[in-house]
Amino acid sequence: MKQMRKNALRLAALFCALFAAVSAYAVYIVSSNEARLMSSTYNTYAREQRARAVRGDILDRNGVVLATSDSEDHRTYHADPQVRAATAHAVGVNSYRMASSADYMFSAYLYGLKLSFPERLSYMLQGKRTKGDNVRLTIDSRLSVYAASRFPADKKGAIVVMNYQTGELLVLQSFPSFDPQDESSLSAARTSNYATGTKKAPGSTFKIVTAASAMQNFPDFAEKTYVCEGVISFPARPVVDAGTRLAEGTITRHGQTTMQHAFAVSCNNTFAQIALELGDEALRKTAEDFGFNDNFLFSDLVVENSAYPAGQRADVDVAWTGVGQSSLAVTPLHMCMIASTVANDGVMMEPRTLKAVTAQSGRQRMGSSPRVYRRPLSVEQAAVLKDYMRAVVTAGTGRSAAIEGKKVCGKTGSAELDNQEKTNAWFVGFLDEPDAPYAVAVVVENAGGGGSVAAPIARALFAWLLENDVNGEEATP
Amino acid sequence: MSEKKKRRRSDPALGMLMAEMLFFFLGFLQLAIQGAKWESFLLALVVPAIIFAGNEILPRLYPSDRLLLSLTNFLCALSVLVLYRWDAATGLSQAVSYGVGVVAMILCVLFARYIPQWKRFTPLLILGSFAFLALPAFLGKEINGAKNWISLGGFSAQPSEFVKLPLLLVLSYFLSQRKVVWAILFAGGCLVFLGIQRDLGTAIVYYGVLLCMLYALTGSLALVGGLAGGSIAALAGMYFIFQSRFHQLFEYVNNRLAIWRDLWKDAPNQITYGLMAVVNGGPFGTGVGLGNAGYNTRTHGGIPYAENDFIFPTIIHEFGMVFGLILLCMYGFIIVRAIMIARRSRSAFHSLLCIGCAALISIQSFIIIAGNFKLIPLTGVTLPFLSAGGSSMVSSLCVIGFLQGVASRNEAGVHEDRALAMQGGEAE
Repeated sequence: MKQMRKNALRLAALFCALFAAVSAYAVYIVSSNEARLMSSTYNTYAREQRARAVRGDILDRNGVVLATSDSEDHRTYHADPQVRAATAHAVGVNSYRMASSADYMFSAYLYGLKLSFPERLSYMLQGKRTKGDNVRLTIDSRLSVYAASRFPADKKGAIVVMNYQTGELLVLQSFPSFDPQDESSLSAARTSNYATGTKKAPGSTFKIVTAASAMQNFPDFAEKTYVCEGVISFPARPVVDAGTRLAEGTITRHGQTTMQHAFAVSCNNTFAQIALELGDEALRKTAEDFGFNDNFLFSDLVVENSAYPAGQRADVDVAWTGVGQSSLAVTPLHMCMIASTVANDGVMMEPRTLKAVTAQSGRQRMGSSPRVYRRPLSVEQAAVLKDYMRAVVTAGTGRSAAIEGKKVCGKTGSAELDNQEKTNAWFVGFLDEPDAPYAVAVVVENAGGGGSVAAPIARALFAWLLENDVNGEEATP
Repeated sequence: MSEKKKRRRSDPALGMLMAEMLFFFLGFLQLAIQGAKWESFLLALVVPAIIFAGNEILPRLYPSDRLLLSLTNFLCALSVLVLYRWDAATGLSQAVSYGVGVVAMILCVLFARYIPQWKRFTPLLILGSFAFLALPAFLGKEINGAKNWISLGGFSAQPSEFVKLPLLLVLSYFLSQRKVVWAILFAGGCLVFLGIQRDLGTAIVYYGVLLCMLYALTGSLALVGGLAGGSIAALAGMYFIFQSRFHQLFEYVNNRLAIWRDLWKDAPNQITYGLMAVVNGGPFGTGVGLGNAGYNTRTHGGIPYAENDFIFPTIIHEFGMVFGLILLCMYGFIIVRAIMIARRSRSAFHSLLCIGCAALISIQSFIIIAGNFKLIPLTGVTLPFLSAGGSSMVSSLCVIGFLQGVASRNEAGVHEDRALAMQGGEAE
């Protein structure tokens, strides 16, 4: 009996531990998934509050009002159609389920679900509809308008500009855009956010990840040399470089090369060899450290997860993965985060679009602060990669992104896609300047080479960022 | 007189009772104001009155554990409130089950208190259990891949819920006689029936109860761990061998394992709907009657099976996460209380019975709540006291009845001791 009493006590401890575990896990899972659950298009609760509430305003980082509501909760947007189009994907429209837009993501604030009890009570006693909180975004509307003016007309694609130290997004644009005020310009294709929701092969920009993996796995990566013979003949799909026309007999050869040189000139052949030497397992591990195959449970954005293919794969697929092809798929925002990691000493910041939430009384309800997402690189590895990316702009494929006297770093990409005449032009890069810590990702679909199409757009954005102070003007509310 | 008054005022049970009555009065009042229904006004008065009666009258019939009584009454009344809020008919039928359950509970109190020898009943209980578990094979209907319901003349019931009671009694008897093998054989027999019905959740509960009681008796981690590990290995083995051959059979299992590994895999799924309801409620809930997560609002944002498997997130939606954590604490209190009764009881049989009851309530509520929050793969069992359904309500209250019976038996024993000691004192 005595023994049984002791055992009973132990069982009680076990049961209590189980319940404590459930409590802790419940709090954890609810808080870690909160943003995604709140903004899910299947979550109708906030929008059901519409009958009782008037949404708050959406402002850009400088206080420019991008969207406001009248007393019947009809949305009106900025007076200038260019501003409307340039910020449309970040702000969102009612009629389309834009999961990553502010109107969805921050609906809990906009519809006043975070109002305190006295505030609610005061609206109730006045007999008025509740007015939700104002949401200030990190988006810069002037830069967004400028970015839109540099993007080739009638092309599909995206531009992302991010502060790599804080994770704040200044531009989050998809092309072609639409006018939220004009119903006829709305369509599912136009309203979908390319920057966060469309994942495609990243092309050579993925060589940043391949190079990082080589650094982590080969202690002698700096001295290693490779020989580029022009073609690695896989029967299914030989690995060749840009400019090679096997049918015509023209073959681009880089000869004996180091990884740094191969990175600057974007030699597919070398990076295919590196990928094969690394093996699928090691490359996948590095890619997953950078956030591939992760659900990206960010609190401000829903980002489609990037895919590094799983399972046993043939050598030809592994080789093509090393140069950013095969079935790799990445969103422009994620590629911008990868470039930002190199810029930010190996620390990957969580991308943010929410700057602050202000109550109608003017009191700040919530401020936002930088959050670290991951640390995929060491400081030393990040420094070496930064040199690699600098060389791309000074002496490699990204020369058209260079700005006199300023340290621009980057990587070009020309992703080949099936059923497409030209390649998708990619450029990801950043300013290595302490006063202007910005990274960009530019994607132009079916447009040609990254160095000739995407890099000049990035250059224009960098130049604008160096001339203008995005934190300077505080518009009075 | 005045001293008695003072004692009454400082009685914590009385304060708790008042708080409970106020809680339900306000809850139903809010529903009444929103829906402008006389029925709800009436319930706002009747439910607190029933709680008062339950907490004040029952302890006069037999010496009982006031805290246990108070907590179970709260949970059952909460179930009525929440279900009534979403669908009046379900709520009222739950109230009827609650009433039936209380009568059954009193019977169980009497059984546990006045029947000292269960030897004679054991064969009857064993036969009865097997017969009852076999019923669904003949009269059963299939719900969600498990065929564990019987339906007779408009009434439907879940035999596996009721067989929990003989299971507890028989296992306690066998183990108190140290007939470990017999206990395992009996539980194994029950599991075979549950396996045929494909009722995995209940099977896990039965098996968990057996293991906890075995541990309490033997204290041997090797035996219990071996049995647990062995059966997990056997289940996993079966899963890998038969998965490809009986694809249909394992579809449910595969689905739930996939969601467990990655919440957003097939979103929106049942679990994300439940979590959305929790997130929408925030720490303090939307308020009674103001939410949208109920099962009769399934077309717009409601949770599938909100009334039974997902009752916990449904409650949290309107009452808030903080309240949800308090509910978990209440279950914790019930379990700790049960173990305390077990430790005070004087015979191995009664001690084991209480340990079994504690194990049953904790394992069952853990499985479903942890499943709701994706801590473990979702397995459909009812949440004791709160889920809709008469079988579950009655059997849970009977379990409390066993605990109360043993508690009153302990109390009587203490009185006897004291009386004996006092007699001894006088004689000296």
